[in-house]
Amino acid sequence: MMSSSISGISQVSQAVATAGTVQPAEGGADFYSQLNSALNQVEKLQSEADQQIAGVLSGQGTDIHKAMIAVEKASLSFQLMMQVRNKIIQAYQDVSKTAF
Amino acid sequence: MNLLGVLEISGSALTAERQRAEVVASNLANAETTHTAKGGPYQRQLVIFSAQPVSHAKFASVLSDVGDEYARGVVVKSVVPDPTPAIRRFEPGHPDADREGYVAYPDINPIEEMVNLMGSARSYQLNVAAVQATKDMISQSLEILA
Repeated sequence: MMSSSISGISQVSQAVATAGTVQPAEGGADFYSQLNSALNQVEKLQSEADQQIAGVLSGQGTDIHKAMIAVEKASLSFQLMMQVRNKIIQAYQDVSKTAF
Repeated sequence: MNLLGVLEISGSALTAERQRAEVVASNLANAETTHTAKGGPYQRQLVIFSAQPVSHAKFASVLSDVGDEYARGVVVKSVVPDPTPAIRRFEPGHPDADREGYVAYPDINPIEEMVNLMGSARSYQLNVAAVQATKDMISQSLEILA
């Protein structure tokens, strides 16, 4: 399942958060910590989907539709995360192309 | 509530319809059952549905959902026995026959049960369609950013 790879990403963003020179805005939450909590949320949904699927396959009597909805939630939140990531990468590339 | 909460509502309906189908199947299976643990013939079961607010994971979401009082999922409130009296058939050789030779059979009409089963299957289909529509709405809102 996908969940194992997500923790890798959150670790990277954690590393960036500690090494980065970006200062949080006055009174606002740090962008990286927000991103981190969003990633953790996605990871949580994915592990929930994993559990539900395991429940169906191991014959614990989990409802199939519940597992399917959990998988769909995980998939959609992952897609949202990918869209945000694409936007961030794009912003970074746009800035890096600035001509001096 | 966001669109993922709408999935919860449809999910609760799917669970309720699954339970209804279970009860109907049990009625069909026991249409000729004359012997139960309680004694007497099997009694036809009826499912009672009840509207229920969707569960909230966090207190913060309770606050944000103040405007969502109308959002209701469905649960099976109870399964009650049908009070219709049993049918008595004259079968003196039957081990469950009474002193006069009559056997009590449950008053279950297979046609009625089949209609209930079809209703349950169609409702399930309907709610799966609602899940898919919600899913498409979420996917489309993701395309705003793309």
